[in-house]
Amino acid sequence: MSLFIRNYKPGSVYNAQIIWRYHSNKVEMAKKEDEEEFRVLDILKTRTRLQRKVTRRADIQPDRSEKMKTDQNWGNVWPGPRSFHPSSVPLPLRQGYVPKGQAPPGKKANAELMKVPNFLHLTPPVIKMQCEAIKKFCTPWPELLNNEEAIEQNYPVEIITSDYCHASPTIRNPLSRIATLRVKLSDLKLDKHARDKFLRLVGDKYNEGTDLVTITADRCPVRKQNLDYVNYLLTACYYESWNVEDWEKDKALEDMEYYDFDQNPSKANLVAWFMRVSKKGDLTDDEVKAFDVSNIPNGPEYKKAVSDLFNNSESDQTLEDYDAAVRKLLGLPEKKVLQ
Amino acid sequence: MNNVIKFAQSAIILPQWSPIFASQFHTSSALCRVVSGKYRITKKRDKPLTYEMANPPHYIAHRKTWNSWNTCKIFTIFSMSLELLFAIPIIKTYSQLKKHVRFVTVIIKRQFNHIRVAVIIRRAVSPTKMYFLLGYSEEMLSNWIQCPVTLELQTVDSYQDVVFKYI
Repeated sequence: MSLFIRNYKPGSVYNAQIIWRYHSNKVEMAKKEDEEEFRVLDILKTRTRLQRKVTRRADIQPDRSEKMKTDQNWGNVWPGPRSFHPSSVPLPLRQGYVPKGQAPPGKKANAELMKVPNFLHLTPPVIKMQCEAIKKFCTPWPELLNNEEAIEQNYPVEIITSDYCHASPTIRNPLSRIATLRVKLSDLKLDKHARDKFLRLVGDKYNEGTDLVTITADRCPVRKQNLDYVNYLLTACYYESWNVEDWEKDKALEDMEYYDFDQNPSKANLVAWFMRVSKKGDLTDDEVKAFDVSNIPNGPEYKKAVSDLFNNSESDQTLEDYDAAVRKLLGLPEKKVLQ
Repeated sequence: MNNVIKFAQSAIILPQWSPIFASQFHTSSALCRVVSGKYRITKKRDKPLTYEMANPPHYIAHRKTWNSWNTCKIFTIFSMSLELLFAIPIIKTYSQLKKHVRFVTVIIKRQFNHIRVAVIIRRAVSPTKMYFLLGYSEEMLSNWIQCPVTLELQTVDSYQDVVFKYI
């Protein structure tokens, strides 16, 4: 080894083959030297440490990053996704946790830099270039569909499916069969009865917050079948909700799922009070039912307040509304709150 | 032992003579000694550690990152190919079997169906031989695993280049 160091001159040209042969010989040489040398008792083992010297190989090229020009095309240097390689990246990177006051490990032989995914292949100029290249395959976006509202109006039904791309022995993925249909409830033509029935049929597939009905099917093995099934479900629910069965007419006031002002005694009382006040004759039950509340001054507000009180449960807000509506209806002064 | 059990069974008749024959709880405190992934300090403080070894496993995501990225999903996505169940162990053992590798940390990343294996190795074999080994390993691995495998090597002069500290 020491022979090698002695003979080594920086800058002298070494053939790679010679060096490899040298490597195989040098172990024996070192052995011979050790045998000849007089052994000294070295208690503190200081010599062995000093003898270690770093040898640099002559056949190793300098880093590619040192030769790079400043105006090079980076996309050619790093064309695709790849783990970090220090000799190709001309950046003084450092990564690693060290105690305060020390410098973190540099980019060479730094496994941390190789672990993290990098985006060196996706620099802005490269993305721009790639976009330009695939531009010829694109068609222009329809001009009239320039905002979300227009898209929703023209394409109310949304179909969601997933495609999976991989090259394992099979290209099929069982997850790609799942089909989801989404439609806004307000886009369907439904009357009061049909809407109520539709919601009952659909159940928890309707989201009140977004007004969306989401139907998902994954029971068939192929996507086409699932799509057909989803469409069938929507169609069936829609037409079924328009059907009125005979037994639906038997629905009495007690069966109502919400408070309907027009069917409740509250309206009869209101109308009776109004007729007495305006000194008109009494009405029959049918006439009371057909009576329009908007003929009574402040009648609609009262109707709304009462319905809210029953439908949206009792709260400070609904009670206050009810209070105000009753005062207006009866012509009483407004509530005064002492400050 | 049998005699003891028989004695205990017979002692049911005479409960005042029966020995305590129930298993008892250990009441000493639990020994929470975690040693995996940690290295002991040597007397001379001359044991070399890489950055990876210097940070124990509880520093993952704080001081160091995971060695495998997106590899858990390999089994769910490629559920059809059973070979992949053995993919990760194969890659790990295969790289560690190489004699020239010391302090090896094998970094495995999956991008879609593409598996990348990154390793830091010492320049101990000739470049020609290394290029052959590289192509050979890639070919063999991708044949076993049935998906493209790329080995991304970084070479260092000696193993001391990867040493972070001595303990």
